[in-house]
Amino acid sequence: MGLRTLPEALATGAEADAGYCFVTADGERRRSYADLQQAARRTAGSFQAAGLRRGDLVGLVLPDPEQFLTTLFGASIAGLIPASIYPPSMTSDLPRYFELTAAILRASGARAVVTSRALAASFEDARPQCPALSMILCADDLDGPDTELDRRPSSSDIAFVQFTSGSTSSPKGVALTHANVSANIDAFLGPSAVAASSADTGVSWLPLNHDMGLVGMALGALYTGRTCVLLPPETFVRRPVEWLRAITRHRATVSFAPNFAYDLCVRRVKDLDGLDLSSWRIAGCGAEPIHPPTLAAFAEKFGPVGFRDTSFLPCYGLAEHVLAATFPPRGRRPRTERVSAEALTGQRVAVPHDGKGASVALVSCGSALPGHRLKIVGEDGRSVGERHVGEILLAGPSVMLGYYQQDALTAQTIRDGWLHTGDLGYLSGGELFVCGRAKDLIIVNGRKYHPQDLEWAVDALGGVRRGRVVAFGATERGQADRVVIVVEPSGTVSSDLLVDTIRREIRDLFGLYVDEIAIVRSGTVGRTTSGKVQRAATKARYESGDLGIRE
Amino acid sequence: MPQPASAPIEDGVFDVLKNVSRRPIEPSLNSDLVADLGFDSLQILEVIAELEDRFDISIPLNDVPATRTVAQVVAQVTRLVEDRSKD
Repeated sequence: MGLRTLPEALATGAEADAGYCFVTADGERRRSYADLQQAARRTAGSFQAAGLRRGDLVGLVLPDPEQFLTTLFGASIAGLIPASIYPPSMTSDLPRYFELTAAILRASGARAVVTSRALAASFEDARPQCPALSMILCADDLDGPDTELDRRPSSSDIAFVQFTSGSTSSPKGVALTHANVSANIDAFLGPSAVAASSADTGVSWLPLNHDMGLVGMALGALYTGRTCVLLPPETFVRRPVEWLRAITRHRATVSFAPNFAYDLCVRRVKDLDGLDLSSWRIAGCGAEPIHPPTLAAFAEKFGPVGFRDTSFLPCYGLAEHVLAATFPPRGRRPRTERVSAEALTGQRVAVPHDGKGASVALVSCGSALPGHRLKIVGEDGRSVGERHVGEILLAGPSVMLGYYQQDALTAQTIRDGWLHTGDLGYLSGGELFVCGRAKDLIIVNGRKYHPQDLEWAVDALGGVRRGRVVAFGATERGQADRVVIVVEPSGTVSSDLLVDTIRREIRDLFGLYVDEIAIVRSGTVGRTTSGKVQRAATKARYESGDLGIRE
Repeated sequence: MPQPASAPIEDGVFDVLKNVSRRPIEPSLNSDLVADLGFDSLQILEVIAELEDRFDISIPLNDVPATRTVAQVVAQVTRLVEDRSKD
């Protein structure tokens, strides 16, 4: 343990008898960390030969996990700033995907993009839109001579940038320093959280452009010299049982996943034959709201094949804090509370449910990691007492450097050293219960969407009254948000056509399905005195059925 | 237009789509999986897996991006089922 940069962690890992095991359609391929270091050095040599200089940003659009990791470390050894960008998904509309990705590359001033051969041609087409982009490189070709580069990054340099949300107007990349990454990994793998040792083996199907997949599983394993088995995300989604089979086969001890993955296993795994989950001591759950009945159903279904509900580790974190922020004690059942739904959203107090009215079951995510601080503040910015709901603020060595080249946004988000998470929660017995979002984020399948990005996209369409669009997620406990968009029409386009156009636009830009589009009478969407749409008020009227919906 | 022989396949596809969707949907042959029925890439993979189980076929992932409507899904499943019975 101790502060180390990505190349230093790789060098230490290379001395251990461990590595990554990539699960492919043809079987498993092991790459020791020593092999990875060799390959990464050759990649670094290629970057240098191509003329990239210290501090240049390179975009990584690489669906293959081995190529992604090799390129990430290669860029780091060469003193570059690697930035992970989502590859297109199967349902992406490719022209729109490249438009969005070109916007990210342009805004970040990327000098190069590294991608697969299949995607390279499309990036060539995007080149005119990205003036700073001088190179499009195929990961396959980055196999230069092994070099002893002396561009070692310092711990205060950016380790990588993770682009999380897509919007052509303001792409948002979370910039983390080597010190950030190292501090978070040391804290969540340390004795008070996962307590990782060389005896642990990880299994993960999480995408590497997500913080839980990259930092939580892949880097966490390398930094502690442990082996990690990596499955392609598609494999898990097609056959969730493959995740559990990999855990069985490798006698794995650590695996993290969002709530929906546990739910998918409950619904889709039919054949438990041959499964043995008794080695699984840390079943981490985070990255999206945790639904206690999902965890209970998983424990019940897989108990007969050795799963223990004391292995669950529900945790809270976010990319802006590298990954993890809070952990509960190991080895206990998830601690849940059932509270009154009305008091939670109304008086913003967590009152134990007395059997009357609607209730909400919430799970404890534990307390702040060692060396880190957490507080809950009200709208006036002051700390609130136990069981009072407020915004979750975090401080300590894991707080990101900032949003890459977005100083105003960074200054809004980090104030006096405190990261304003936008998430709502309360403390009970010193433990954090997360119960909503202050920033109105819409979360679907673990991905966050900013309502404003959706509103801007719709605002630009024909047939819409400018500035009279509201987007929000209507939350049903334990389920994915329903995405709702309320618009006032300008009257130039029929309602049916407008609904269709909006749905397609949001699908193309964000890969997101809009569950409901409410076309409302003029004057329904209110504005504040400063001219902003009244999102919360519109949402409240929608939920109480009081919107003037046009027939 | 679907052949009469494909009716059971059509029903099976509709059934799978309704099971995988977490919202009430009324698919028709013309429905677009993403734009009309709201499937995300995750759910499309779920649909594929369910279809493979139900019809005992293997759907090549390369074909997925070109498959947009329910009619295309039905046509593809029909073809794969016929190929299978030839073996």
